[in-house]
Amino acid sequence: MNRIAGRAGITLLLVLILIAGLGFFAAEFITEADGWVVFPGSPHVYNGNNIDCGVVTDRDGMLLADLRNGRVYADAADLRMSTVHWLGDRYGSISAPALSNYAAQIAGFDLVNGVYRYGNTGGMVSLTLSAQVQQAALEALGDRKGTVSVYNYKTGELLCAVTTPTYDPDNVPDIEGDTTGVYDGIYVNRFTQSTYTPGSIFKIVTLAAALETVEEIQQQRFVCTGSYALGSDQITCESTHGEQDLKTAFRNSCNCAFAQIALQVGGEALEQYTKQFAVTDRIAFDGITTAAGNFEAADAAQINVAWSGVGQYNDQINPCAFLTFIGAIAGDGKGTVPYLVDRIKVGKETTYSAEIVKQDRIMSVSTAQVLQEYLRSNVEQRYGDEYFPGLQVCAKTGTAEVGGGQKPHAMLAGYVMDEAYPLAFMVCVENAGYGGTVCLPVASRVLAACKLVLDS
Amino acid sequence: MTDLLNAEPTYIYVYIGFLRYIAPVLAVILLFRCIKPLLTFRREPEIWAWLCLSDGTKLPITHWENVIGRSKRSDIVINAATVSKTHGVLTRYDDGSWSIADTDSSDGILVNGEKIDIQALQPEDVITIGGIEMKLQPISRRQEAQLAKMRTKGSSFVTGLSNVLLLTVFQVLCCLGYLMGGQAETARSVLLGFGGIVLSQWLLLLFNVCIRRTSFEVETIAFFLCTMGMAAVAAVCPEEALKQLLAMEIGLAGFLVIGWALRDLERAKKIRYLAAVAGIGFLVITLLFGKEYYGAKNWLVIGSFSLQPSELSKVCFVFVGASAMDRLVKKRNLILFIVYSVAVCGCLALMNDFGTALIFFIAFLVIAYLRSGSIGTLALALTALGFAGVVALKIAPHALQRFASWRHIWEDPLGAGYQQTKALMCMASGGLLGMGPGRGWMKNVFAADSDVVIATITEEWGLVMTAMIIVSIAALAIFTVRSASVGRSSFYTIGACTASSILVAQTILNALGTVDVLPLTGVTFPFLSNGGSSMICAWGLLAFVKAADTRQNASFAVRLNKGRVDSHE
Repeated sequence: MNRIAGRAGITLLLVLILIAGLGFFAAEFITEADGWVVFPGSPHVYNGNNIDCGVVTDRDGMLLADLRNGRVYADAADLRMSTVHWLGDRYGSISAPALSNYAAQIAGFDLVNGVYRYGNTGGMVSLTLSAQVQQAALEALGDRKGTVSVYNYKTGELLCAVTTPTYDPDNVPDIEGDTTGVYDGIYVNRFTQSTYTPGSIFKIVTLAAALETVEEIQQQRFVCTGSYALGSDQITCESTHGEQDLKTAFRNSCNCAFAQIALQVGGEALEQYTKQFAVTDRIAFDGITTAAGNFEAADAAQINVAWSGVGQYNDQINPCAFLTFIGAIAGDGKGTVPYLVDRIKVGKETTYSAEIVKQDRIMSVSTAQVLQEYLRSNVEQRYGDEYFPGLQVCAKTGTAEVGGGQKPHAMLAGYVMDEAYPLAFMVCVENAGYGGTVCLPVASRVLAACKLVLDS
Repeated sequence: MTDLLNAEPTYIYVYIGFLRYIAPVLAVILLFRCIKPLLTFRREPEIWAWLCLSDGTKLPITHWENVIGRSKRSDIVINAATVSKTHGVLTRYDDGSWSIADTDSSDGILVNGEKIDIQALQPEDVITIGGIEMKLQPISRRQEAQLAKMRTKGSSFVTGLSNVLLLTVFQVLCCLGYLMGGQAETARSVLLGFGGIVLSQWLLLLFNVCIRRTSFEVETIAFFLCTMGMAAVAAVCPEEALKQLLAMEIGLAGFLVIGWALRDLERAKKIRYLAAVAGIGFLVITLLFGKEYYGAKNWLVIGSFSLQPSELSKVCFVFVGASAMDRLVKKRNLILFIVYSVAVCGCLALMNDFGTALIFFIAFLVIAYLRSGSIGTLALALTALGFAGVVALKIAPHALQRFASWRHIWEDPLGAGYQQTKALMCMASGGLLGMGPGRGWMKNVFAADSDVVIATITEEWGLVMTAMIIVSIAALAIFTVRSASVGRSSFYTIGACTASSILVAQTILNALGTVDVLPLTGVTFPFLSNGGSSMICAWGLLAFVKAADTRQNASFAVRLNKGRVDSHE
């Protein structure tokens, strides 16, 4: 029996393997469980593509969506429609990268409790968006396609970012079966994922580049005869602007003048400044990366350099990136990266709190100040301050030709100078006509809503 | 804003919040109480007889089965050139009688001058081994009773009772958790499932008391594991609770029958032949009439019942592998066993059941080592496994795929790694204390109540609970190893060590496979996995563990020392 008793140790060898395996797994669990829990598709955190825990509110605590147990969205249909591109839908057709990015903070994982929360409470996400402004922006856009955004250029908080077409996640229309095209690109968040031909709002970029490169550009005078010939091609204006100084040419949005300015700056320098101003860069925040814009004039023919300087040719801008560029002008040449998620609390514990992210300086203070003076004069002397009661607004409209017999995109970019309302804004309405007539009423409506929110 | 977050704090939330803490605490206390005596019982050397040599030396006989020989590893060492290394075996029987058997020694054994093969010893018989004469002098009945008195008792009746009470409290809390969160239509099934386990454990305890056995730790551990298995059933497929209970009852019946069969060694040895025939018979029947599911032909469907006969074959295989010492030391015996194992292996290869084949192979290794003690034999066997494994992987792409995704599950979370990545996500979500009963998601994953059952348990009850489950299986195995040195017969020791090795091996493959430490092989977790055949097998194996429990009056599968002991109690 002595022999057998000794050999019984072979069973201990198996026990040892079991205990060692358990230990190995325990170590893996301790070091990697936080990653497993938020891996895309993790059942207690996601439902399909979208996050499935926590409660999301706007900046004032208004419920936008209760993501627990099958998602309960806001009560108001227009609020649901104006926020679905940030919250995601039930089926994962629209994803919510900003929320997924903070899955761990929302789920509130810890080793002892996993993602268990007493009463299945989960995390509390406060967005920077304002429900009221979202609703106002959606109403102002109506059934037109486009995007409206407003952000605080000092802090980066996005007060408003609406994209259309959109739909009510509680009342999903027959998108697949539609043949009219009203739902084209409905799943895309245009604010972050689209690019547009900028049209005349790009003249801000050309102007800034000229101010930084061309000496005494402000003393130059530009003649507009309604068209500007370059060899066999020509740049045209809506009307004949006659002789103008730089400020007037900008206010008139004179294509002929800006074609000449673009040529003075030169294609290569223009492209280099576009890069320096980060106009076509991707912007990253809250796990979102925006679509890259496009600008190519370095090796382009003269006529194309001219057209690129007035925001046509192959120019493409992403609304979010352009908004940030405008914010940088408002910030005397130094921009602030926008953000959407303000803070996340699980129980009493704050698991995430947004921080202000400043960009590198993109232009000199003096250039930014001249731009401000010019942009302000646009509103004061051309668009009309009556659109923005109680606010000192600087802006530039744009009417971007898209060809194909379609109406141009109406564009507007600008900001509020007032210390109390440090807001930059961007309005893009697709195939809607003139920038001024289409976008100014939208901006007017949205900024008024913003003012109300900031006042309260 | 807080009103948005705190959904109504109903009594359910309060209860789950409470249960998350109390359940692991209860489990830790219960298992500590059960495991401690198994791991710490004293193993005093016991002297059963004296071998009086003609020169006056008295050699103590400390076991029921004793190898006599020149080898230092013999139980009785006689250092004379005329004595073979392993010369003979001296065996004591339940009734106190002794026999001596020759084990292919060169000189043979003489009893009263006559050469014998095996011979029952009478008092005053003169034994001659290698020319040395000796007499066996068994201890008196009085001394035997004294020994029994000194021997570590199986734990007291009160301890057993309080452990079962503790387990019952745990089960009631557990069941309540599932009833609160579950569907009304399955509530009856869940209640009956848990209730059935509670009733069974009390009846078995009562039976144990009636036949004057005091130790109930091993059974309590098994009932605890069955309870957690029922929890997984309640979480995944509550409508199958009754079916699982029925399987446990059949398993319990098998446990009692095998335990009874093992109680008498001579009877057990005879049943061994029956088991051998049954073991191979189950496999052949499966091969002939079985159905193929998921690439393995290991199911037998009779009407609405389906079972995996290969599970039952495991129990038979343990029977076949066990052997008393007198036969054990003869070479012929091992060869017969190898032939039998090859036949079993052939059947399993034809069935294409990779997981079961692996378990049988591990059982074979354990038995082979216990019987031969030769690392060389094991090395050969392992080489054979290597070749067989390569062939199996070539033949079975199903198995190959599992190996291909091993440690790479996160690269294909929606394909080959689906089961395991979901298991890990859910286990992480549960943390150490779990999400609470019925709050899991694992039910949506294939085999959440069998192949990846520990993920289901961890998700709902926490990693602490799962660790306790694994530790209790390990404790059973360590107990059998500790019992080996005071084993009554190598038959029991080999049986118990093999049985517990199978339990541990299944736990290794199942638990570590689920969490991607090892490849997923689809082996069941003993007592925990939903599945009748697996449950019956686990209880059958447990009978072998009980048969090796030699603590005084501890086990129903070991004879009471009739009369002699009782008078001293």
